[in-house]
Amino acid sequence: MPARKLYFEAVRVGDELPALAKAPVDRVQLSRYAGASGDYNPVHVDELYAKSVGMPSVYAPGMLIMGMLGQLISDWARGGQLRRYGVRFIKMVWPGDTVVCKGRVSDRHGSGGRYFVEIDLWAENQRGELLMKGQSVIQLFYSMEDENRQRSGQAPIVIEVPRESILTPPTGGHPEGGEVAEETGAKKAPSNTKKSAKTATAPTPSPVSAAKKIKK
Amino acid sequence: MLDKNAIGRSSPPTLNEVEKGSIRRFAEAIGDYNPIYYDEEYARASGYPTIVAPPTFPASFHSAADLRELLGVGIKSLLHAEQGFEYERPIFAGDRIYVATKVADVLERTGPAGKMDVAVIEDEGRDEEGNLVFRARRTLIVRAAKENA
Repeated sequence: MPARKLYFEAVRVGDELPALAKAPVDRVQLSRYAGASGDYNPVHVDELYAKSVGMPSVYAPGMLIMGMLGQLISDWARGGQLRRYGVRFIKMVWPGDTVVCKGRVSDRHGSGGRYFVEIDLWAENQRGELLMKGQSVIQLFYSMEDENRQRSGQAPIVIEVPRESILTPPTGGHPEGGEVAEETGAKKAPSNTKKSAKTATAPTPSPVSAAKKIKK
Repeated sequence: MLDKNAIGRSSPPTLNEVEKGSIRRFAEAIGDYNPIYYDEEYARASGYPTIVAPPTFPASFHSAADLRELLGVGIKSLLHAEQGFEYERPIFAGDRIYVATKVADVLERTGPAGKMDVAVIEDEGRDEEGNLVFRARRTLIVRAAKENA
């Protein structure tokens, strides 16, 4: 039985994605990733080579950590379609390090029956140091009814939702350091998305969306 | 300073066949056990035609490009600074995707350690009908090989 899906109507700007703590990175994982990705750069798999170029040991390719952060997105946005995903690599990940992936909804908007949420993403190590920072755009169905309609060949539910960031400037802002990010990430439970997704099945726009519709 | 003439250099499209086993091994290496990457029935019940590839799976695609040759950088080390993907649609097991690589830009940036050469490499994946499937952009910092320590 597939997991419950995420719908646009249930997502709010500021919602935090449930943090994803990965198992510590080890050298076997680095070999596996090298094999799976076809990237055999010796700095990731050959300890002697890594030391010969001045590294304390082999280290994880940035793309492996980007893959972990990608897991955070797809675990959260079940049923959504990833449209954009980008990261900046900040700090190296060494064998023994634990990667914790976090994210927060930064914007949501919809037009012409297509709905998008934007999220800020970041990964930290066990010391709360920032490893990677990124953004992603995910397309979602407005609601279960919207999905059912589109899957049966009908027109999508159309509700105009302007970018929230235009109406209300973000208060939390982007995490600038590991400590801040860690605190905010740990505080909140995975928001109230579950409840709203279950109870709101009709395409009735929430008062907020209705207000926005007028504003457009 | 990198050779500005490198901009626009590209490799011919190379066929990548997306195999279920490759998806499984890729997801396993990340430690991502979402059944949509492993279980065909589960993937179908989740609304996909078949097994899906994880978001960063295009990193495993090969192209005919020799980056050092495209950039003309010889033995210098290439440091991966940024990566971005744009997806036209999900990638599925059984897809046949042609990947072409080109040098999108070369520029000089000023970082904490002074000026550095930066190259932006763009991969484009298209299906057999020529429809765009994804675009990937890598930003690489080009450094002398011994500066690593």
